[in-house]
Formats: sequence, structure tokens, C-alpha cells
Amino acid sequence: MSEHTHEAVSDESKRHKHEGPRNHNLTYIVSALLTIFAFAAVLYGQLDRTFIILFIVVLGLIQAVFQLFFWMHAKEKGHFFPVIGIAFGFFIALTAVAAAVWWMWW
Amino acid sequence: MAQTHGVAALPAEPEKATLEGKNKLLAFWTFLGAECVLFGCLFATFMALRNQVPDGPTAQELFDLKTVGWSTFLLLTSSLTSVFAIMNMHKGKHGATQLWLAVTVLLGLGFLILEIDEFTHYVHEGHKFTSSAFGTSFYTLVGCHGAHVTFGIIWITTLILQGFKKGLTVVTAPKYYVAALYWHFVDLVWVFIFTVVYLMGKVGH
Repeated sequence: MSEHTHEAVSDESKRHKHEGPRNHNLTYIVSALLTIFAFAAVLYGQLDRTFIILFIVVLGLIQAVFQLFFWMHAKEKGHFFPVIGIAFGFFIALTAVAAAVWWMWW
Repeated sequence: MAQTHGVAALPAEPEKATLEGKNKLLAFWTFLGAECVLFGCLFATFMALRNQVPDGPTAQELFDLKTVGWSTFLLLTSSLTSVFAIMNMHKGKHGATQLWLAVTVLLGLGFLILEIDEFTHYVHEGHKFTSSAFGTSFYTLVGCHGAHVTFGIIWITTLILQGFKKGLTVVTAPKYYVAALYWHFVDLVWVFIFTVVYLMGKVGH
């Protein structure tokens, strides 16, 4: 009985180590800030068009990485094959976008 | 007492406790990889055709960033509440899991209402599916995302209803977890939609 309780306690502490609300809340704040920066750059930024486009795309990618790693738990152990799967999907998607942009714009 | 013990006896990560659960997770990530390809192709089509507007309003004239901002806020917050649901699931708190999922569904519904209102407005402005290549690629991409949101709302609602009957077990836990992953992915796609469709549309060409 006491052994069982001990096990439950160590289990509890292990759980807290890799999953607290802090990282999730932080991801929310980072996502919100990146979104606000992107909107502000388009609404108020008196900058070069190419620079604004690159800027907002990079902000979007940073946000995607944050959400993938924290909200979707991709940084936790046992996610090697999931990361391979999603990375490959992303690679194909980027190839399609790059090909379309290259053909149509240049 | 026996019931409390039953809940406490759930493993720390009930979604990975069975081989079936583990397989479900891996298969779902593979599915999300395939979804990346689907949305990638729709994004590619949209980027290639977004300036093809023979007549009718252009993206720059059409889009209202205030509505888009609110949609983004609703969907981002709903993604956070689905994280809260999974955190509570890991603590064995089934009631809180159900509650946060319900909040997620409500925020998703809010997003959907805004999107339907936005599309109705666009059609009145003369921006229709058949009016231009911009229109076709716009409604295909953003509509496909809206369909994903709709499906997610129906899916998570049925999971909540099933949860009342079956409780939190190693069988239902992978379902909650995978639904939350799906919801995060839908939010992730929206990040690229507001960037590529709305913000880049507002920047113009």
C-alpha cells in the first residue's frame, strides 16, 4: 500500500517535470505577439514590400515551430517518427509552393 | 473509493498506455503530414493565382483585417483551451477535460460564424467562387480550412458526448489526444492563411 502511494507520488513529480502550464501559456503569448507584429507590419509599416512579405512569413514559421513543439508535444521523447512524418509533409508542401511561385512570378 | 482508485490507477500518459493508442498517435501524425501536402498544394495554387482578377474587387480592396484579427484571436485561444483539456486529462481530471473541450468547441463555432459572415459579405461585393481565378483559389483554400474547422467541431462534440458515457480510460484518452492534435493543426494552418492570404493580400502586388 505504502509502496503504491510512493509510486503515485514519483509519478506525479515526473508528470510535472515535462508538463506544466508555463510552456503552454508562453506559447500562447509568443503566438499572440508574433501575430500582432505581423498585422502591425502590414497596417502601419512604411517598409519595402518584399521585406514585409519575408518578415511576416518568417514570423508565421516561428509561430508554427512554437506550436508544433509545445502544444503538439513534438519536443517530448518518443516523437522521432511523428516529427519525420510531419517534416516530410512540410517539405513536399514547401516544394509545391516554391514551384508554383517560381513558375508564376519569375 | 473504488472509483477514485480507478481514476488514480490511470497511467501518467493514458494515450500511450496501449499499443493501439501508440499506433493511433503515429498514424495521426502521418495523416497530418498528408494534410500538410494537401494544404501546401492549395497554398501553391492560391499564390500562383491570387493576382488574377479580371473584374471584381481585388484582395487589397476586399479584406478587412479587423475581422481577420478577431478570427485569429478566437482560433488561437481555442488551441490553448484544447491544450488545457489534455493537461487535465494527464492529471486524470475528466470533468475539466470535458469542460475545456467544450470551450474549444464554442470558440471554434465563433470562428466559423465570423467566417460565414465574411464570405456572405464578399459574395455581395462580387467576390464569388466563379468570378475570378483569385476567387476560385481563395474559396478553395480558405473554405477547405473552414471545412476542417467544421469537422473538428462535430468530432470534438461527439467525443464530449461519448465521454459522458464512457469516462476517461486508456481507450478514450487517445481519442481526446488525437482530436487536440487535429485542432492544433487546424490553428497552425490558419497562421499561414492569415499570413499568406490576408496580410500578403493587403500588402498588394
